[in-house]
This record gives sequence, structure tokens and C-alpha cells, in this order.
Amino acid sequence: MNMRRWLLVLFVLLPLSLHAAPRVATVDWTIAETMLGLGVAPLAVGETAAYRSWVGQPALPATTVDIGLRTQPNRELLAELKPDLILVSPLSAGIVPTLARIAPVRTLRFDAGGGDYWAQLRQSTLELATLLDRQAAGKALLDRVESRLAAQAATLPTTPPLLLLQFIDERHVRVYGRHSLFDAVLARLGLRNAWQADTGSWGFATVSIDRLATLDNVQTIVIEPLPVGVDARLARSALWQNLPMVRRHPPLHLPAVWSFGGVLAGERFADQLSLALRGRP
Amino acid sequence: MKMLPRSPALPLCGLLFVLTLGLSIGWLDRQLPDTLWLSGLFDPDLADPRQLVVHYAWLPRLALCLLAGAALGLAGMLLQQVLRNPLASPTTLGATSGAQLALLLATLFAPSLLAGREWVALFGAGAALGLVYALTWRRPLSPLATIFAGLVVNLYLGAIGSALLLSNPEALKGMLVWGGGALAQDGWDGVQRLLIHLVPATLLLPLLTRPLAVLDLDEASARSLGLPLRHLRLLTLTLAVFVTACVVSVAGVIGFIGLAAPSLVRLLGVRTLGRRLFWAAALGGLLLSATDALLQFVADGGGMLLPTGAMTALLGAPLLLWLIPRLAPKKSMPGASGSGLTMRRHPRPRRLLTTLVLVLLIALPLALFVGQGSDGWRWAGGELWTIQLSWRLPRLGAAAAVGLLLGLAGTVLQRIGQNPMASPELLGVSGGTVVGLLLAGLLLPAAPLPLLLTAGVLGAVLTLALLLGINRRSGFQPERVLLSGVAITALLEPLQSLALANGDPRVQQLLTWLSGSTYHVTPTVTVALLLLAVVALGVSVLLGRWLDLLPLGQAAAGALGVDTRRAQRWLLLLVALLSAAATLVIGPVSFVGLLAPHLARLLGLVRARAQLIGAGLCGALLMLVADWVGQQLLFPQELPAGLVATLLGGAYFMWNLRRL
Repeated sequence: MNMRRWLLVLFVLLPLSLHAAPRVATVDWTIAETMLGLGVAPLAVGETAAYRSWVGQPALPATTVDIGLRTQPNRELLAELKPDLILVSPLSAGIVPTLARIAPVRTLRFDAGGGDYWAQLRQSTLELATLLDRQAAGKALLDRVESRLAAQAATLPTTPPLLLLQFIDERHVRVYGRHSLFDAVLARLGLRNAWQADTGSWGFATVSIDRLATLDNVQTIVIEPLPVGVDARLARSALWQNLPMVRRHPPLHLPAVWSFGGVLAGERFADQLSLALRGRP
Repeated sequence: MKMLPRSPALPLCGLLFVLTLGLSIGWLDRQLPDTLWLSGLFDPDLADPRQLVVHYAWLPRLALCLLAGAALGLAGMLLQQVLRNPLASPTTLGATSGAQLALLLATLFAPSLLAGREWVALFGAGAALGLVYALTWRRPLSPLATIFAGLVVNLYLGAIGSALLLSNPEALKGMLVWGGGALAQDGWDGVQRLLIHLVPATLLLPLLTRPLAVLDLDEASARSLGLPLRHLRLLTLTLAVFVTACVVSVAGVIGFIGLAAPSLVRLLGVRTLGRRLFWAAALGGLLLSATDALLQFVADGGGMLLPTGAMTALLGAPLLLWLIPRLAPKKSMPGASGSGLTMRRHPRPRRLLTTLVLVLLIALPLALFVGQGSDGWRWAGGELWTIQLSWRLPRLGAAAAVGLLLGLAGTVLQRIGQNPMASPELLGVSGGTVVGLLLAGLLLPAAPLPLLLTAGVLGAVLTLALLLGINRRSGFQPERVLLSGVAITALLEPLQSLALANGDPRVQQLLTWLSGSTYHVTPTVTVALLLLAVVALGVSVLLGRWLDLLPLGQAAAGALGVDTRRAQRWLLLLVALLSAAATLVIGPVSFVGLLAPHLARLLGLVRARAQLIGAGLCGALLMLVADWVGQQLLFPQELPAGLVATLLGGAYFMWNLRRL
């Protein structure tokens, strides 16, 4: 049944691609990011303002229409925009039947759902490229990112295992482990993730910082943005300042990267991480 | 210290103390060899991570629990005493949610204010309590009116908070952890901040105890003793709110301790105010620390965050349910049984109902075809006409049907309970549906839809059965019934907070449903719901006679040939079905079931049948408007209809509450 819809989509898209870029709407930021990486501007994306502050790069063009919440895209507006194709992530499974009344819907999975994350990213990126009739651009994008990662990996200094975290408040962090984008990038860079405990299928665990006390020879990587005031409060936090890992290796801060992103977010993360690690004392 | 050994509160406190101590020793034992306990607790070797955790995370957390719990117990006791209201507490008077909302707003719009978190929280809590006070201006100190206003304010502020969370999920994720009352500590900072503010507040207590104790007598004698009641009241209220705000700003939202501790102390029969204050503080602190120790012991090492504040609600709710039938008997409050709520009667109800139908018929096409699109505001024509019709009609239809169902359910509940505050949401029927559904979904992840729906209906029926069982002996005193409902609804919060604090991306969807969105409604469901609404309207109108007779009392109704027991049972089953159906489709919608019957009454529809139809129509109209406003206000984003109904209806309701 997928095959038929698939052919139908191709049938709809092929003639269009000769004349104009396909009109593709998506609710998902990772898909939007990858589309931009392939050189196709999405017609419409959910929560464009939040995309600009949480995903940032690559930038959305001003012409992209905001279709409202990612969980509840505005279907009247979508119907009015008449997209040729709507792309969603598996999270949107519940709304696929109604979106299908507007245009053909394709679901692309960028997170691995428990499998090999990078392999899944590759596959979905190529799938997206095929859908957009940008196969060559897709291969080029993957080649570029992977060779860049390989180059970074070759020149990285030896480092202790890394602990990747994002502060929720000064006492709670999200720690990224297996099944996360960051972990997949670490693996490709030949680095070790210090967090080996279970992280659920979303790739992160929410823990209070006392749980980090047992980690010792670990380099802490703090992924920004920090919530308001956390910087100052961490400076006063007796527990944080005395954590063995913090005392041993001063934490490194990385600028914001979309933690559920695609290959481009992965590339950006790798660049920033390599830069930070090279500057390490 | 002579009073301690003989106090009736001692056994319970002792039990909790032993529990806390035992769990703490058990935890320490896992963490450290016993030779290192002393140094770990008081003089840690910071190079040893185990001692580090004991000294900077575990011990401050225990201290914080004791302090925060004690403060909440104290605040609750003060509020109960000064308002002479056994149900008063920081939570039930809206102070907690006021503080929470103020902090949410500050995080979003003025983060620099957060340097003085206590003051932001104090402002919010004070404003909320002020609002409650303003709403009950005409009937100061009527306990039921005060608590009711508090609950309304709670719902209202909570709805605003949900709206903010829905539209700013990434920016507010820290607030979700804090909002669940996660007590993890990172040093002695939090304890110090709490102490600095609490110690001066506590020093005021001895000055207040004696004059406050006079309030145990009635008001007239207190006045005759020459007490400046107004000032005393204001000072005490301010003190209680200040204490609450400090706790909320440091430890987050901790449910129920502020109600459970003072109520238990009262129930156990502690006599004088001074002792009650002491034991409420002791019990509050021990209750919170025992809960927290238990959670830490159980959850140790798991990947899941269990926010203690939310969990106290889980323990507190059954406690409260157990407690309600045991509250000392009190005479029914004037104004509670409808006497204060009698309204002018409309001379021609039929004509009024026709007008309502006409308004509904005019509102529908407006809501269908007016709105924002890619080119701003417009009247949809041509092709857009078809688009909007096909997307909006099912949603508006479902919204209206839900409004009608809830209006009917609310009217039936209010009439049989003779309780103007009754409604499916306040009595926990909606909450029971959600709990049933969530539990079924959690325990049987692959459950088919019909099973989930059955679980939801079962939840509603069980909730009502529970309400009946608990309140049979007290003869359905409005106050108690209402309180049991609130306690049942409180069971829902821990489940929700747990999901929220752990940041599962699916949470947004849960939150959407919980705030009453019509987004996922399909045309088939709408048709089914509309049919049900029509049938329900017919059935309840047929049962209208019962509803006219039941409020006359068992004897009078019996004399007129109505078996009250049987009538009540059938009517309650009807209510359960109606509210479960509405809840299953768009989540637990607040206020409509409460508001619609009142609207009908305010319009002058007094007889049961007229009120039923009127309430149904008002509910439908309210939800219709709410659904439209929700989709247009933040276009292209949307707010759930249930939330908008709460915001619209709540504002109107508070306005009227003030007049009652």
C-alpha cells in the first residue's frame, strides 16, 4: 500500500519539479532543517518563531508560512496553501489521517526509535532527498557531513569520556545517552559517552545533579541555552562546584544545537564540540 | 515540654518520625559504611563523592522537607483559624497557584525579577488571595463561599498557566520540574533562604496566638472582648501567605500538606490553638519528609523523576477522603443550599428558550465562516467556504454537543445535591474519567479504543459511587461532597505532573487533550456526540419531575410517590455517562458544567425542565464561542476550547460570584 502512494507522490512531484520547486509543508523541525540542507525551502513549517530560537541554523526563509503548533498544525491554513506534499515525523501519527485529506502525507523517522541512530539519519535523509527529487544533493550532503566528521575525528586530542547535558534548572539536567543524536555523533567522532545508563527511547534522562556525583574522570559538556539565572546559581551551588567531574575537568559550554535534529545539527554539534575540545587545557 | 507526651497527635507523629528515620538510615546504609556517617553528615571529605552527596544533596533535602512541610502545616492552620474554615489551606485558597503563575509569568516576560523569587511568589499568592477575598466580599468568612471562590481562582489561574505552557513548551520546561515539587537540593542555599524568611515570621506567632485563640469562640464574643478583628485577620492572612510564598519559591508546588496536616491535627482532637499550631507544623514536616524519604528509597537509581510535591497529592487525596466523613458535624451553611442563590424568575421561559436557540443558530454560521486566513480577517467565500465548512463544522458541532452534555450533567448534579457549586469537574467525575483512561493506557499500552473508553466510563461511575459511599452518612452536605470531589480530582495531578516533569515529547499531546481541544474530533464522533446530546436532553427532560421534587427532601418527595434513593441512583448514573462521554472526546473541560446551570438560573429559568434545556443551550453556546475564539485568538496557533471556556466562563462566573 505504501508503494502505491509512493508512486502517486512521485507522479505528482515529477512534472512539478521541472517547472518549480515542490510545495512541501512540514510540521517537523528536523525535516525542515534537512530540507533546507538539500536546498529546498519548505512552504510551511510549524512554530517558525520557536524554530528560529531553538534550531537556528539553517535559517528559515522569511517566505515560509507559520502553520501553528507542531502538534496541532492549522489544517484550514494548510488546506488554503494547497501543498503538494506534507511531511511528518512518527510523533504526528495521530493526525496523519486528517492531514491526508489535504495532500499526500509521508512519515519520515529521523530518530532511531531504539536502533542505530546514524544509519537511520542517513536513510531518512536520502529518502527525503528522493521525495524532493534531490537525490544528488542528498548524497552530497551526507558525503560532506560524514567526511567532515571523519576529519574532525582524526584530529581530535585524546579526551576522557564526555557527559552531555542540558540544564533544566540548577538542580536538574537532561543527560543525553544512547538513542540520541549527540551520542551518535560522539560515536562517529570516536569519543566515549560517559552516560551509559538507560535513557528511554527519546535518548535522554532527566536527573537531579546528585546522581552525577559518582562520575569522576569525565569531561562535562554543557549544551546551551542555560535557563535564566542558572549560571549565577551554579556558581554558588556547593554540590555542583564539588562534583568530582567538575573539579577535575572544568565544564565546556557549547552553543545551542537542536537536540532532536538531523545531520546538519549533528555536523554543527561536531564542529562546536571539536572546537571546544581542542581549546581544552 | 509537658504537653508533648499526652497529646493525641503524638502517636501519628511518632509513627511518621520512625518511618522517616528508618528510611533515612536505610538510605544512608546503602550510601556509606557506618563509620563514615558522622563525617558524611557534618564534616564531609569532599573528595569522596558519597559524602558529598550526603552532605550537599541528601541532608539539605531532608532539612528542606521538614522546614517546608512545617511551614505549610503552619500556614494551613493559621488560615483555618483566621477564616474559621476547616477546609482552608494555601492550596484551596488559590495562594499556591497564584505564586506559581506569578513565577511562570516572570520567567517568560521579566526574568530579571527572578532574583527575588520570594517576592514574585508573594505578590502572586497575595494577589490570588486578594481576589478570593474580593469575590466573597459580601459574605466575608462564609467558609463554603471562601473555599469555593478559592477553587474557582485555582482553576482559573491553572488554566492561564496551561495556556502559557502550551504555547511556550521549550522555554518553560524547567518550570514543569519545579511545578511538580521536585525537592532535589544542591547545597544549603535553599534551606538558608527558607530559614531567613521563616524565622522572623515564626517569631510573630506567639503574639498572634492568644488573640487568634479567641476566634474559637464566635465572632460576636471576640468583638466584645475588644479585639481589632479586621487588623488581626489581615495580619494573620499576610503571614500565612508570606510563609506559603517562601515555600513555593524555594521548593515548588507541594500539594495537600497545608490542608492535610492541620485537618488531621484538628481531627485528632488537639484542643488549644498553640498546641494545634505546634502539632500542625510537626505533622506537616514529618508528612513531607516521610513521603520524600519513601520516594527516594523507592526511586533510587531509576531513570524516572518522581516529583515529591506531586506525590504528596497522591498520598494526601485518600487521606482526605477518609477524613471527610469524620469532620465534626456542622450545621449546613446558609447560602449553600440555594437560599442565597434564588433568582428572579423569568415570566415566559418558553420564549427565552426560543431566543437562546435563535442565538445559537445565528452564532453557528458566524463561527463557521468568519475568521483569519492567510490574508488576515475575512468572511470565507468561494472555495474557502468549502475548506472552512469541512474543517470547522465537526469541531464546532462537537464543542456544542459537549457543552450541552455538561450543562445537563451540571444541572442534574446541582439539583439533586441541592448544591450550587456542584459540577462534573468539581465533583471529580471528569477527573475520574481521565484517571480511568490514563491508567488503562499506562497498564495496557496496546489496549484497543473501546476498552479505553470503557475504562473512562468506569472511572466516572466509580468516582460517583465513591462520592456516594463517603457522603451517605452525612446526608450529602454540599461542603463535604464538594471536598470529596476535589480530593478525587487531586489524584489526577500526580499522574499529570509525572508525565510533565519527565519531558516526554508526547506530553504536549496529553496536555492538549487535558485542556479540552476539539482538534482530534472526527465527523463520525461529532455525529455520535450530537445524537447522544439530543437523547440526553430528552431523557433529562423526562426526568425533570424528579429534579423538581428531590430538593423538597426525602419525606416530601416520598409522599408524592418518588423513591428518592432510586431516583438519585439513576440520575447519578446519567450524570456519569454524560460527563464521561464529554470528557472522552475533548478532555476534562472545566467550568462549563458549573457555569451553564448558573447562567440558566441567572436568566430566570427556575423550574427543572426549563433550567435543564436552558443550561444545555447555554453550555452549547459557550463551547461554540470558546472553540471559535480558541482558533482565532493566536492564529495560526490555537488554544483548546476547554481552556478558553474556562477563561471566558470563569471571568463571568467570578463577576457573578461577587454579586451573589
